[in-house]
Amino acid sequence: MSGVWVVVEERDGRMGRISWEAVATGQELGAQLGVPVCAALPGAQTEALAAELAAKALNRVVRVEHALLGAYTADGFTLALEQLLRAEQPEFVVFPHTYQVRDYAPALAARFGQVLIGDVTQVGTGPVFTRQLMQGRLSGTYCPTGSGPCFVSVQSGAFRADAVKAGTAEVTVFSPVLEAGQLRTRPSEPFRGSAQTVDLGSAQMIVSVGRGIKEAENLPLVQELATALGAELAASRPICDNGWLPMERQVGSSGQTVAPKLYVAVGISGAIQHLVGMKGSQCVVAINKDADAPIFEVADYGIVGDLFEVVPALTEAVKNARQ
Amino acid sequence: MKIVVAIKQVPERDAPLRIDAAGKWIEEADLQWAMNESDAYALEEALQLKEKHGGEVVVLSAGPERVGSTIREALAKGADRGIHVDCDNPAQWDALGMARLLAEAIRGESPDLVLTGLQSDDLGLGQTGVIVAELLGLPHASLILHVEKTDAGLKVKRELEEGWFQEIELPVPAVLTIQSGGNKLRYATLMGIKRAKTKEVRRVTAAELGVASNAVVALERIAVPQKQKSTQMLTGSPKDVAATLVEKLKFEVRVL
Amino acid sequence: MIQLPFTLAEPDGFSLWERFTFAALTLTSAALFWRRFGPILQRILHSRKDADFRLAPVGRRVWEFVWEVLCQSKVIRQRPLPGLAHALVFWGFCAFAVVTLNHFAYGLGLGFLSPDGWVGRCYFYLAAVFATACAGGILGLFVRRFAVRPRWLGAKLSYESGFIALLIFALMATYLAAFFVADGSPAARALWWAHTLTLLVFLPIIPHTKHLHLVLSPATVFLSRGGFSRIPALAGDEDFGLVAGTDLTRLVSLQAYSCVECGRCMEHCPAANTGKVLNPKEIVLGLRGYLNEYGPASAEPLLGKYNRQEAVFQCTTCGACEFQCPVGIEHLPIMVGLRRGAVNTGTWEDEHGAKLFLALERGSNALGMSATERDKFIQKQELPIFDGTQEYCLWLGCMGGYDPKGREIVADFARVMRYLGTSFGVLRKEKCTGDPVRRLGNDLLFEQLAQANLEALAQNKVKKIVSICPHCVRTIAEDWKQYGTPPEIEHHSEFLARHLSRLPRAAEKETVVYHDPCYLGRYRDVFEEPRKVVAQAGELVEAPRSHERSFCCGAGGGLAFLGEEQGERVSQVRAAELAATGAKTVGTACPFCNSMFRDALAAGGEGAPQLLDIAQLTARNLPAGGAG
Repeated sequence: MSGVWVVVEERDGRMGRISWEAVATGQELGAQLGVPVCAALPGAQTEALAAELAAKALNRVVRVEHALLGAYTADGFTLALEQLLRAEQPEFVVFPHTYQVRDYAPALAARFGQVLIGDVTQVGTGPVFTRQLMQGRLSGTYCPTGSGPCFVSVQSGAFRADAVKAGTAEVTVFSPVLEAGQLRTRPSEPFRGSAQTVDLGSAQMIVSVGRGIKEAENLPLVQELATALGAELAASRPICDNGWLPMERQVGSSGQTVAPKLYVAVGISGAIQHLVGMKGSQCVVAINKDADAPIFEVADYGIVGDLFEVVPALTEAVKNARQ
Repeated sequence: MKIVVAIKQVPERDAPLRIDAAGKWIEEADLQWAMNESDAYALEEALQLKEKHGGEVVVLSAGPERVGSTIREALAKGADRGIHVDCDNPAQWDALGMARLLAEAIRGESPDLVLTGLQSDDLGLGQTGVIVAELLGLPHASLILHVEKTDAGLKVKRELEEGWFQEIELPVPAVLTIQSGGNKLRYATLMGIKRAKTKEVRRVTAAELGVASNAVVALERIAVPQKQKSTQMLTGSPKDVAATLVEKLKFEVRVL
Repeated sequence: MIQLPFTLAEPDGFSLWERFTFAALTLTSAALFWRRFGPILQRILHSRKDADFRLAPVGRRVWEFVWEVLCQSKVIRQRPLPGLAHALVFWGFCAFAVVTLNHFAYGLGLGFLSPDGWVGRCYFYLAAVFATACAGGILGLFVRRFAVRPRWLGAKLSYESGFIALLIFALMATYLAAFFVADGSPAARALWWAHTLTLLVFLPIIPHTKHLHLVLSPATVFLSRGGFSRIPALAGDEDFGLVAGTDLTRLVSLQAYSCVECGRCMEHCPAANTGKVLNPKEIVLGLRGYLNEYGPASAEPLLGKYNRQEAVFQCTTCGACEFQCPVGIEHLPIMVGLRRGAVNTGTWEDEHGAKLFLALERGSNALGMSATERDKFIQKQELPIFDGTQEYCLWLGCMGGYDPKGREIVADFARVMRYLGTSFGVLRKEKCTGDPVRRLGNDLLFEQLAQANLEALAQNKVKKIVSICPHCVRTIAEDWKQYGTPPEIEHHSEFLARHLSRLPRAAEKETVVYHDPCYLGRYRDVFEEPRKVVAQAGELVEAPRSHERSFCCGAGGGLAFLGEEQGERVSQVRAAELAATGAKTVGTACPFCNSMFRDALAAGGEGAPQLLDIAQLTARNLPAGGAG
């Protein structure tokens, strides 16, 4: 039993950044332990991606290929990877901590009598693995005590994708034995959340505007920033009261409660009625001309300045970054 | 439809956390406890299914004496009876051990559906439901926002990343892990609490279920992360602050 | 026989058939009265007993009866002119009671007062004075109802009231006219009969109309729970508040039948005045309608045909209704009781309400913020932690601990306390006092919160509390009593007023219009202390509606946490009224009022008055540097 295996994830013919981060973690682990690192790529048509992986410093790239692995099912992936891992007997198996991995890796680990150490943010010598507890208020360090392979998944963004070492790897194909009857769930095509209605509650990014905007005519300024970010536009109550934006875009105690990854508060002073609606945001950026505005108390990044200057500059910078 | 909902009692969201002397877990003495949030959504989904299709909702929780209050809360919200698996130090059990304990308790019930929250607010492992399905040999789906009963079994709405969703059909019995936010939670009522007093809660021990805690992963130590949230004020010309902010959004917040 | 002029003329004896007719008519009238009144009395008596009812202290009851009923104090104070007119009618009736008794007795040949004796003569003269006043009063009320027509009497003209007024006038007129005719003359006989018939018509009309209050309201005032917004403890395991007829208690039923439909309760009602469904008068009349149709043994829900759930949850519990009611109806226990019935059984479904309840089930504060936010504020302001050695425990409350504006108030009040050298500390952990859930009728949560807080206060050996929030003060001082003995508590206005002599005055005085918070004024009877504090820091200006007639800001009763209002916003109506006084500053004494007015005043655009709590008004005159 030896070596580190990285199970990467194909999505729409591409490999997401988080999979590269997993590869980087695998390489780091391999270097620490002085063992070879291999990559497994489950799917139905994985040739192109395998070629991409072959240009990295990996011992082997294995295309775990089967027609039934085209659309993800927990049963298919668990069965296929179980067969591969039983054959290869790795010491460590590294996954990207994606929704898909969360769906099957715990079951896969259980088949080996093991537990996935999920959502890892740090790998220490030993190796030991650090992950968050209590919703980020504490961190915990885990070490495997069992005798089987150790399953680990890495948190998105915790490791550097650009740290993946280049090299060459041999590409092989592993054909698992799978039958349609073994797949008990029938997934349908993924679809976008209904685009027509405003759903601030599930928005990933929100640009919210308050009284500082002064006139309805100035709203396009903020709309442009939202568009550049790919964010939803929202507002504090006075804006919706004036009818400048529809009521369904109101964030606050009498409107929507939101919890996006990014919340940009433009010209919002931060009344309690507004704060309770957006307090769950992961990152808050506040732009306000009043340095004493309470919104800065809850902000992660604060900019004291004229929004009519800062917002266009920011829109420009975001557009450039997006290109 | 007979539904078992596995719920976990976790420290209240606001509870002040102190690390114990051994540095391996938190001091539990003064903590206040609450039902894990996504488990509350699992319970809500179960109650709504029962209201629509009839049947029975059984809540299951493993932990020491204190867990009883969370089971009562679930009964107050409308569950029909409870199973309390006695286990003194639930934090010492790894996900596989805990899943074995729950799976054995569920096995005897032979339910049509097992629901549990996506992940716990304390350990955040997010695995127990999936492993329970594996141990019981049942199909599963995770991150579920909505459950619909069909002639063939179930049609569920699963959350994918970045605002995408997917429908999945699967036969029953099955195990689903429920994502928070799919439903509106009901609040506990005085009438519910009074009625819950007469509902049955069966207690069972790990030994009676034939499960031992043989952890394969150990939590070595816990710590308070260095970084505390504080406001970074960005200064400079509009162009400069815009550039700095974009950098931060790219590399620290990682949303660009 | 020739009589002196201006002596009450009486017929000289009755024929047999006259006596018979008189007896028959009297019996008919009494029967008609009882046919209606009997069942009403039954419905009241068959309602559930008030488990917490105590007759003691009787002294208070007697005093209230004398002051409110006999002196008509509430009737006059709230509406002086019509109040006085009503009082004249009432006193006329009181004086007339003996005359009427004698009148009937005389019809049966048993008259006990005679114009021939000096006692009788004096009494009749006295009654004549009252009768004149009464006739004048009823005439005034008639003109008001049919010519002036104030809006709280409703858009529809009540001809029944007009008829009653005519009857009363006729009663007085027929009595007074008898002083101008000869004793024993046919005119005296005609007047006697006219008076008798008016009385016999009047009697059965009483229970059929709102004039039932003539009979019931003295009892209602005497038996009222007392205090203000006194919410009774639930009685036993099956009591969830006012769910169905079986939950109506005798007091509630008595009050429902006592309503005189004067509309004083809606005069200052923030809901009824801003286009909401709720009208407190209709709530009480709704209960009466329910009792008439279903009775007190019915399992039919109270919120249904006669009262709408929507209306009940629009109440800000400001208490303007209960405070004004002249017949002793206690609206708040009814309103909160109906909410309890809906919330304790889970029939109230409201997105924002559920969010509030869940926030308090899972966390410590009504705003759903993380408790660490409060810790951060305490650290930033370097507020000492209460350790048992300090004099006061400074209770922050949700608004003081989490609302940016509320925090400013707390910080300024702490500065004042430091300046005065008063020792204080804040609790390391605090839970919501339960005010919003108490008013919304969630007994489960309220009990949990009250008990947890009482325990924490006892553990910390807190003796005295001071708070910037009237809602916290009221809930701790009164509502928690159901679960234990809360420490002594006062509002910061009371504290500040007591220490005014040691606090600096403002050098230049700007005008400040003071807004009475409902929970400080009507609920706690604190009107003058905050005014003294304002007067020290500025030139006090009164709003058109102030003191006990103040108009709500819209936040109370948990409404600060429930979504958007229907109709006009209460906060904007009040803010506009305050701004219209032209004062430079709006002075508040409640962080909820403050937060409601913040947006509402800003909507007024440039030139809107600034908004400051009395603690802030005081703190800005402190010398820089602070500690004294």
